[in-house]
Amino acid sequence: MDKKKKTGIGKLLEIKGMGSSLTAFAGLIVIYFVFGMIDHKVFSAQNNLNLLRSMSKYLLIGIGQSYVMITGNIDLSIGSVVGMGTMISATLMSHGVPTLPAILVTAVAAVVVGILNGFLVGKFKLPPFIATLGTMFVTRGIAFIVNGNRNTDNVASGIGKEAADRFQKFFYYGKTFGVYNTFWIALITFIIFFFILSKTRSGRHIYAIGSNVDAARLSGVDVVKTTIKAYVVSAICSTIVGLILAAQAGMGNMDAGNMYEMYGVAAGVIGGVSPLGGAGLLLGTFGGAGVWQVLENGLNMIGAQIGLQRIVIGVIVVMAVLLDVVIRNGSRTSGLGKKAG
Amino acid sequence: MGNVIVEMEHISKAFSGVQALDDVRLELHEGEVMALLGENGAGKSTLVKILSGVYTRDAGTVRIFGKEYGNLTPNSAREAGVAIIHQELNMCRDLTVCENMFLGREIKGRIALNNAKMEEEAQHYLDELGVDISPRQVVGTLPVSKQQMIEIAKALSIHAKILIMDEPTSALTSKEIEELFRIVRRLKESGCGIIYISHRLEELEHIADSVTIMRDGKFITTGAYKDFTMDTIIEHMVGREIKERFPRVECELGEKVFEVKNLNAGRLVRDINFSLYKGEIVGFAGLMGAGRTETTRAIFGVDPKSSGEILLEGKPIRINSPLDAIRAGIVLAPEDRKKDGLCTKLTIRQNIALPNLDTIGGKSGVLNRAREDELCERAVKELSIKTPSVERDAATLSGGNQQKVVVGKWLVRDSKVVMFDEPTRGIDVGAKVEIYHLMNELKKNGIAVMFVSSELPEVLGIADRIIVMCDGRITGELDARKTTQNEIMRYATMFENKLGKAGSSTEVNDHG
Repeated sequence: MDKKKKTGIGKLLEIKGMGSSLTAFAGLIVIYFVFGMIDHKVFSAQNNLNLLRSMSKYLLIGIGQSYVMITGNIDLSIGSVVGMGTMISATLMSHGVPTLPAILVTAVAAVVVGILNGFLVGKFKLPPFIATLGTMFVTRGIAFIVNGNRNTDNVASGIGKEAADRFQKFFYYGKTFGVYNTFWIALITFIIFFFILSKTRSGRHIYAIGSNVDAARLSGVDVVKTTIKAYVVSAICSTIVGLILAAQAGMGNMDAGNMYEMYGVAAGVIGGVSPLGGAGLLLGTFGGAGVWQVLENGLNMIGAQIGLQRIVIGVIVVMAVLLDVVIRNGSRTSGLGKKAG
Repeated sequence: MGNVIVEMEHISKAFSGVQALDDVRLELHEGEVMALLGENGAGKSTLVKILSGVYTRDAGTVRIFGKEYGNLTPNSAREAGVAIIHQELNMCRDLTVCENMFLGREIKGRIALNNAKMEEEAQHYLDELGVDISPRQVVGTLPVSKQQMIEIAKALSIHAKILIMDEPTSALTSKEIEELFRIVRRLKESGCGIIYISHRLEELEHIADSVTIMRDGKFITTGAYKDFTMDTIIEHMVGREIKERFPRVECELGEKVFEVKNLNAGRLVRDINFSLYKGEIVGFAGLMGAGRTETTRAIFGVDPKSSGEILLEGKPIRINSPLDAIRAGIVLAPEDRKKDGLCTKLTIRQNIALPNLDTIGGKSGVLNRAREDELCERAVKELSIKTPSVERDAATLSGGNQQKVVVGKWLVRDSKVVMFDEPTRGIDVGAKVEIYHLMNELKKNGIAVMFVSSELPEVLGIADRIIVMCDGRITGELDARKTTQNEIMRYATMFENKLGKAGSSTEVNDHG
């Protein structure tokens, strides 16, 4: 047990999960430069801005899904909650409800879904796959029903051109310090939830129930409350994305957010969040969302077909987890070897 | 007595440096029921697992029906005629009796499975045992006793001649036990040899022909059952004295801190009454499944209580969850550290901090890292947890050090009552003594300490007062300085009269 003097990097690497987070960022940079070499347009200022903006959606989704995955569960309702958020907010606005109340109502609806998910999984011990499959259908159904089974009209038709403009600029088209607002929204959300997860009691409880729910309960952790918190975070993040999509289109699309829950899983997993719970850093999710977006963007720029994009992303997700499993199994066998010897 | 069918000689086996078996021998004859006896951890299970091919031995020879076997595997052991009826039954609950009996060796017709043939055969063996079970019943719907019969029928159907029964009666009622014994006798008549492991010594007179006794991984003695008395058996099982390994500190007995009144929770916690005082350690002794763990869990609010009262410093308190208990100042270091004690994926620091987060963070819930480090450092130092860094995963620690984390995380907060469940299970002697010192430290600080232990020497050496449980009830309360292992064992085997005619454990004078 020699006490080595730790340099900054050494200290950083000592943090659990930092390794896979940094790996994700390294991958992101490599992919970025590889595509940039192929097509210099990748490096253009406008492309970088677009990249940051489109990455933001995946980052937000990734934050929510990572919270839930760290508790050892999954949230399949994310995409539908995105759709529900888009539709509720856009329906209200296109019917003349001012922006702020519309957003508030949307947020309340999302929190209710989060609490419901948390209750079903934490309190009634439903398998999270089933519980959130149910809420996935229900919330998508709500997304359809709120505006009578059709997409909404332009929000400007309800709240007027000026207010609609402000809404769209705030969430999507506007810039602050030269970068799209969407990115700032995602970044601030990230910082808040990063802080909660790594620096507060609730965050620690989230890791604990994901690692060993029995031990956590015996240590005085309120498992039901903690599960609810994770699902509420997921629902809030989904709603923000729902609002972003509404702002982007200027209207509500019933199918918005389709499959987003899986993008969230992918972002988290690429960044080293364990789908079995108990491990992972939100920083990794940031890297994972980045890897995803840089890939999609790069493949687009070099003119790859959408099908190829999907294949590449699929391979990357499996590779990331495979790497993790191989590393973990490697350390396990060596551990056993030590015991036997 | 018939021919020798199993001969095991000079068997040794070590697990990660710990000698589990040391030069053990065993001999089983045709048509014999041999009781294999010893305390928990004496090596009985390891020995039969070697015979059934689950473990490979380090040294020694095994002969079955005169044929010498090298390394047995579960398959080769089965082919040799060895079958083990596990303590926890190994069956697919959702499949039928017949499907379970033929699992992995299904009889096929030309295209599909030949269910008719399998059912017919299953029925044949069930009839042979004289039990009323249909091959088509779903196993999960049957009581445990019937499931056991299916295991036995399955053993017969693969022509097993050597049956190992590990605690077969622990979950059975008296009628079911009689039924089991009837079948054991029938198997015996048909020439099977049976190795019977049980803690319930009073059962032996009903079925045992011979006895083999082990202790601390060593062979102690063997002989015909009729040549032993209950007292000589117990003496052979526990006979050792190692008081020095158990540091005891003397404290003045203080006031009553904690009281449990008429606590009931399920079958294994029945009408429990006891008190804890400042300046003493109370040991809970008993056999496995006596309800000691269940009692601690009920007190701590893990399992629901059906009735009873808990008083802390004279005032009744309500505990419906571990959180209630911790807030009141009552903590539990649980028995199964992998399952209940440790978050193996979290770091050592995070594990130690987990139950203390209320003190580490303020009202805001934001954690104070400096305070957390300080707390963690204190725990690591006081317990001498050996690790290069507290930022390592808890899973990387050795068993003893993991246990120190499980225990240590509770000690950095101010508690009034500390319960330990098997605090030294599976750890080496040095680590054990460190944990004893810790318990003594708590005792000196006026904290009420109780611990559950299946190791009698430890209970005798560390506790001031001993409460003995058997089958969910408190059967005795003894002064640790005056009692003996034999006396504890007698209380620990004081089962309610399930068998009508009981063994030597009936005459008991109340020491409470």
